[in-house]
Parts: sequence; structure tokens; C-alpha cells
Amino acid sequence: MMPGLKIDHEKCTECRMCYVACREININAVIVSSTSQHLLEIDERCIYPKCTVCLMYCPAEGSIVDADSGKSLVPPPPEVWTENLRWPRSP
Amino acid sequence: MQPILKNFLDNWVYPSGFSGPGVDFRLRQTERCIPAWDALVTLALKSAEQDLKSGSNEYKAARARRGYAAEGPFMSMKQMSTQILSVTINEQSRYIDLQRMRARQIWDEVKHGQLHADVLLRGGWIKREEELMDDALANTQPKLSYFGMTAMFPHIHPLARAGQHYYNEAMACLGIWATLSVIDDPLVRHQLRSQEAEEMMHFMEGKYQIDAYALTPAEQKPIEEVFDFLLRPWAPEPSRALGGTA
Repeated sequence: MMPGLKIDHEKCTECRMCYVACREININAVIVSSTSQHLLEIDERCIYPKCTVCLMYCPAEGSIVDADSGKSLVPPPPEVWTENLRWPRSP
Repeated sequence: MQPILKNFLDNWVYPSGFSGPGVDFRLRQTERCIPAWDALVTLALKSAEQDLKSGSNEYKAARARRGYAAEGPFMSMKQMSTQILSVTINEQSRYIDLQRMRARQIWDEVKHGQLHADVLLRGGWIKREEELMDDALANTQPKLSYFGMTAMFPHIHPLARAGQHYYNEAMACLGIWATLSVIDDPLVRHQLRSQEAEEMMHFMEGKYQIDAYALTPAEQKPIEEVFDFLLRPWAPEPSRALGGTA
């Protein structure tokens, strides 16, 4: 199955915030590719649109897009950061 | 509220990937930051307008020298290196990604210094970067100590730095956007555009660290103390000893 999110390498600054966020919640869908630049990619473990955490911490406008429509999701439009999409964090 | 700030809040500050005490804490601190952020935008707009009115190109060099002082080798690479040290071996399992974020930031700081030096080289104000080592304006900066001399030492708690990232890096982004809205000089815009993405990343680091890690009063306290320091209303200007005018 194709992942629902895709990284636009024209816009991505390779800051790795998406990797950090995705790893923290144990989805692990952001991977370091085998390219010599170690570009980040999103693989089939991504469960978007059920999870949108990476979009909230991506600093580069337009760098993560909906794979189907190509629509930019950074900064995140209101429909992807509704209360039910947030991951509860407790001590 | 300045429209530039409102846009920043709506697009980058309020969206949260998590819910819970970290996010709640961040939003409380955000309310404290907003008046200062708003004032910063007003000041940055005024400063950019004054620069344009000066009729001289010297403001471009002054901006680059100030940037070099705050982000060149004198300050930035060293201070970020020390912030990795604030994570002890016992804390590695919790803060492994925090260390990665800070290690990545060192690389950003390498480029920041190069960027400001390049502006000075291309503008013809210097012939070699080494000339800046003898230039006081490129080696001192009047910011308060969380972005100054004490930043050379590791914070006593690994999360304390998140307060500085959140507050100061937001200021950096807002200042850049305010200046870009006024100045259309290609050299200045090159400098600001290049810096913009990385300042946003550092702001996001602070946002993420607070949302994801600052979950207990013990974890929030060192961050709140940084906000207390940065926002202290009784010391709006640094002392002359620190390079300020007060």
C-alpha cells in the first residue's frame, strides 16, 4: 500500500523533525533513504489521515504533501489538527 | 495584534500533534510571549523602514555584522555543542532525539555564520572572513544571556533550552518576516530567506520538546524559568556591561 503522505524534496530542508515525531509515537514511517544525501522518505507504515503528528512540527512550508492530491499540508490546514487527531501524552 | 504575528500563531504555533500537559503548558507560556512577540514585529518594521530611509547601504553591512556576532563561530556552534552535553548518559533513552536535534542544529549554525560572512564579502565590506575576527561589531551582541555568554555552558536541565528555542527563535522568524515585508534589496532578502527556514526549524524544536517531553511539573519548571528570565519586565534592556544601552 502506498503511504498517504509524501515529502517534496524541492521544499524539504531535511531537518528531520518528521522523523523525530514519527519515531516518538512508534509509527516509524519516516525513513532515511539509501541516497547519498540521506534524504528522508515516508514509507507504507504511515497511517495518514489517521495520524497527522509530523505535519504539526514540520517547519518548511509545502514540504509534506498529500500523496494522492499533491496538496500541501504544511502549515497544517485546520482539518488535519482537530482534537481527535492529537496523540494523548501523559507523564 | 500585528498581522504577521497572527499569521504565525494560526499557522505554526497553535497546531499541535499531541494533547496533554505539555501542550497545555506551552499554550500558557505562549500567552506570556505574545505581547513581546507583537512588540518585536512593530520594532522590526520600524527598524527596516528607518534603514530604507537612511539612503545609505551601510545598514546592510550592519545587519550582517550583527548576524555574524549572534550566529557566527563566536557564539552559535559553541553554544549548541554544549547543549548536547546537558543530556546525561542516564537520560539518553528518553532524550535520544533531543540530542539528534541539537547535533543537527550545529550544522545549521555553521551555515548561518557563512551566510552573514558571504553578505559582507559580496557587498565588498570585507575581503576575507578573517577580518571579522578583529571587528567588535561582528563579535559582540547585546542579547540577554540565554542567547549570549551563558549559552556557552550546558543548561542544568536538558529541556531548559526549549524555552529559549521557542521564545527567541520565534522572534527571529517574526523579525525576518517583518523585514522582508519592507525591504526589497536582493542582498538583504537573500540573507533573510536563507535564514528563515532554519529559524523556523529551531522554533519547531522548542515547540516539539515542550509538547512531547514537558509533561510533569519537574520537567516544566526549568523551561518556565527560562521564560521567566527572557520575559522579565523589569529588565527590558541588557546592561551596558552586556553590550546594551541600559
